[in-house]
Amino acid sequence: MSLSVRPILSALMRNRTGAVLVAMQVAIALAVLVNALYIVVQRIEKMQRPLGIDVDNIFVVQASGFTDRYDQTSSMREDIDYLRSLPGVVAASPSNGIPLSGSGSATTLTAHPGVHSTDGFNYYEVDEQGLDALGVRLVAGRNFRHGDIEPSRAKNDASSFVSNVILSRATALRLFGQDDPLGKAVYDDLGQSATVVGIVDPVIGAWVGDRHPDWVMFMSRLPSGRYGAVRYLVRTRPGARDAAMQQAESHLSRSNPDRVITFVRTLNYFRDLSYLGDRSMGIYLLTVTLLMVAVTCLGIFALATFNVTTRTRQIGTRRAVGARRADIVQYFLVENGLITTAGVVGGCALALATGYWLSIQYELPRLNLYFLVGGVLLLWGIGQLAALQPARRAATVPPSVATRNV
Amino acid sequence: MQASLLGYYSHLALRSFRRNPGLTALMVLAIAFGVAVCIMTLTVYHAMSGNPIWWKNDRLYTVTMDSWDPNSGFTRGNAETHLPPPLMTYRDATTVLHAGLAERTVVMFESSGVISGTGGPPLRTDTRFTTGDFFPMFDVPFLYGSGWSRSADDPPQPVVVLSRSMNERLFAGANSVGRTLRWNDHEFRVVGVLDYWFPRPLFYDVTEGSFAPPEDLFIPFAWGRALDLRSAGNVDCWKAEPLDTSEQFFNSECVWLQTWVELPDRASRERMQAFLDNYWAEQRRGGRFGRPRDNRLTNVGQWLRDQQVVDNDNRVLVGLAFAFLLVCLINTVGLLLAKFLSAAAITGVRRALGASRRQVFMQHLTEVALIAGTGSALGLGLGALGLAAVHHMYAAAHLGRPGGYQELMHFDRTGVLWAIALAILATLAAGLYPAWRVGRLPPAVYLKSQ
Repeated sequence: MSLSVRPILSALMRNRTGAVLVAMQVAIALAVLVNALYIVVQRIEKMQRPLGIDVDNIFVVQASGFTDRYDQTSSMREDIDYLRSLPGVVAASPSNGIPLSGSGSATTLTAHPGVHSTDGFNYYEVDEQGLDALGVRLVAGRNFRHGDIEPSRAKNDASSFVSNVILSRATALRLFGQDDPLGKAVYDDLGQSATVVGIVDPVIGAWVGDRHPDWVMFMSRLPSGRYGAVRYLVRTRPGARDAAMQQAESHLSRSNPDRVITFVRTLNYFRDLSYLGDRSMGIYLLTVTLLMVAVTCLGIFALATFNVTTRTRQIGTRRAVGARRADIVQYFLVENGLITTAGVVGGCALALATGYWLSIQYELPRLNLYFLVGGVLLLWGIGQLAALQPARRAATVPPSVATRNV
Repeated sequence: MQASLLGYYSHLALRSFRRNPGLTALMVLAIAFGVAVCIMTLTVYHAMSGNPIWWKNDRLYTVTMDSWDPNSGFTRGNAETHLPPPLMTYRDATTVLHAGLAERTVVMFESSGVISGTGGPPLRTDTRFTTGDFFPMFDVPFLYGSGWSRSADDPPQPVVVLSRSMNERLFAGANSVGRTLRWNDHEFRVVGVLDYWFPRPLFYDVTEGSFAPPEDLFIPFAWGRALDLRSAGNVDCWKAEPLDTSEQFFNSECVWLQTWVELPDRASRERMQAFLDNYWAEQRRGGRFGRPRDNRLTNVGQWLRDQQVVDNDNRVLVGLAFAFLLVCLINTVGLLLAKFLSAAAITGVRRALGASRRQVFMQHLTEVALIAGTGSALGLGLGALGLAAVHHMYAAAHLGRPGGYQELMHFDRTGVLWAIALAILATLAAGLYPAWRVGRLPPAVYLKSQ
């Protein structure tokens, strides 16, 4: 069989509008496909980053005192004791912030006093069960002991520091590089120091969209409830969470008339809320990209069909002068391949330009070239598949057609 | 074109559809999907990028001053914003307030407190502490009563304004003006109840989610200091200074207050700018304001752009939607061309019988318009369905937190207008070339082959 591209090409050039239109579709589809998939993969990576927290088995209680009779210290003590006594509860701790929720506090932190820094580190004020209440893994040093825990900051000592802190590995790396952080001092912006007693890894703070969501520090102190609310993080054994939540809500909302329970929610609720934008963006991008590829395939299919229909007599003639069925199939596939290739080449340029523009405009990372290669192969492959059926149909045209209708 | 001809062309188009029902359906569907995706993204984009108080865009300004760290600019999420902090220090905000240069001045922050004393169970609620100019300045509608006068601002009177939904919750929707409630166990008297009011985006405070509903309670700003409250919103501090006492906090470099002024004309605007610059220079001599001078009066439109209220995802999606529509339209052009050319013999007969090029062109354009119109109508329906689906997804995730982002997913008049515009666009973009091309065919060629 003779695979000669030249006659196919010249036939194409004589009737090129349809081919140009299909190539344009392929080009746009490729540019969108590659960039959309790249964004989706980044979002999935963001959502699947190791949290280090036992998210599925944790719930959060928020309590707000509102009368002058309300005594936060004793109320917190009672509530925590009650929560720890619930069946299935592994650990419970007061906390100033809620992981993954967008609600927390951050402070600057340095390895040397008086050094200027703008790095913000998300901190949790917790008691000796804080790490267990999150389920984070201690990889070096020790946990807080009961004796380490300092009372809440009073209203007139809002800027004191603590004696002991536990850092995330990311925080330790940022502050001390490869040096062993255990036993070293960290300083707040007033030059007050605390000793690093432990390292946890991995862990995540309150803000999933932060450039460094894992810059986290645990402080051995009860939260101050400055904004009128204290939070309790409660971790249960698998399967025991929902029952414990119900019990906690019904008991705590009646146990103290000087405060209200603002909410009792699973940590999953906060995580889902924080990732909602990423999730819907991913779903949307994928749906539209799939639709676009489908429409492009239909375009390829329709063009091939049109070409076959309008060339029935030529096909018959070729068959009559000796072309085999395979030659006819091949002719149409090569023709389609030429069109798709033109589209894919144009699409590469378009994809790179789009990727570059996105990276400049929206500070997205530059397009990964593997995605481009994958996209090219994918579109080229399904382009050929879309043309296969019309090409096969062309091969069924009998040679006798050539002699009819003259 | 005469009406009778239009009817005739439509008739011809319908006959043509019947010749290739599959192809026609394909074209309609392609346009429908393209239009649906565009409508969905554009509706959300429109809602996000709107200026909810556009009629005051040349009067309302937020005041910002770069009081930040001399060594580095303001950052958010560990990334520099290249703008002054969006909030002001207590010292600077109250200076603007007491200068009284603007027609109206609002200084405010958001806090949280527990409402009791109305019979129901205690209720924690978001509360805005603001000067009384808030209500006339932002054209807030009232159902009952009104806001409070400036004399109630300082010294602060125990007055409160409720949102409509909070009034329904606390007082079953009755006219509650004159009744009392307790906020963190302090008594306040209701002076006004707002009507439904939900500016999107929440331009006056974009720090805590730009699409959240307004607060349910409004209390005079000076109560914040009287009750020694702190903001429940962002409090950003850069300076190494003790913040132990309330006195230290209120005099600190921490930024936490929104400041808005209403300046009706250019002269008043220039006066305010000069005042800020003078104040800045005077404070700088006293050792503050270590950064280059950057005192801004920003109108609402610019403010929403500066604070990136429309997130990048949304812009990307709008671009994606139009790329998709473009592919659908190119697809339709190709299909139409194929369809028209394969029916060229019929067109040739019409031309031979005396139809002009123009008439052939109009006939085919009518056919395209029918396809695009049907496709767009279908796309409108699909888009509305899609929006409803996304709305549900968000509503389910927000559990018990009404308002917010999901409220943007409302299908409205804008969607219909977009659908009509897109239908016209689709007709012209997809139909012009094929209709022109088929009109130029020499009739003889096609008649010959018969």
